[in-house]
Amino acid sequence: MRKFILSLALIIVAVPASAQQIDLHFPELAEKADEVVDVTLDANMLRLAAKFLSGKDTDERAVREMIGGLDGIYVRSYEFSEAGQYDKNLINKIKSQLGPSWKPLVTVRSKTKDNVSIMADMHGDKVTGLVIIATEPREFTIVNISGPIDIDRLAELSGQFGIPEISKGRRHRDE
Amino acid sequence: MTLENDLKHALRRQAPAPGFAERVMQQIENQPEELRGTPRYPRNPVWWRAAAASVTLAAILGGYATHRVVEHRRGERAKEQVLTAMRIAGEKVRYAQQEVRGIGTAD
Repeated sequence: MRKFILSLALIIVAVPASAQQIDLHFPELAEKADEVVDVTLDANMLRLAAKFLSGKDTDERAVREMIGGLDGIYVRSYEFSEAGQYDKNLINKIKSQLGPSWKPLVTVRSKTKDNVSIMADMHGDKVTGLVIIATEPREFTIVNISGPIDIDRLAELSGQFGIPEISKGRRHRDE
Repeated sequence: MTLENDLKHALRRQAPAPGFAERVMQQIENQPEELRGTPRYPRNPVWWRAAAASVTLAAILGGYATHRVVEHRRGERAKEQVLTAMRIAGEKVRYAQQEVRGIGTAD
């Protein structure tokens, strides 16, 4: 009986300590959206992707180093033709899934630009998970990175890889 | 009942005529070789085995090549997804950092 209680306690402790995957299943948003970006990469897929990232290209090498220790990357981005297509309570619904180790790092509220909330799963000084929720009147984006991540290095990656920045294009259309 | 009796009579067990087996064997031996029934395997088993090995090898190599192609496609797709995810995440984080720095410099 004592062993059983000990095992149960270990499981209870181990579950939050392990990589937390958030429920990012929003079929109602996908139906309404004009454009959907859906990225689901577990640890196995990240290892596979790492093999195809060039070691010679500086940007790809940086990404390869960053994803080396990750457990998963999940992105859902929805762009709508009209404003107000998503429920704003969705943000609270996502936040409510995060455990007590998750701390808000940055919250940007703007009437004209993106509203961004960045939350990190903190274990001591280390960030072992990241959730980014970015909203605009016609856009809803959530990114969940599971595993140790360097946020400054992540910011340095923006707009690289020869791919045009999506948001800039979207804003043009909004104007 | 007559039909039943007729059937019983027609289907009754009957011993063959004397020398039946010998006559059958004699006819088989007198037949030309090609009518005696071809063997189910080629005469030269080496060629047969070589052909079987070639088919097996081709199947293995074909399967491996297909696996490599599928794996390559999966890898390229995973790479594209990683780059897309990192670009989106990086963009949002950088935007947040810029806004925070903007507040810092405004003071």
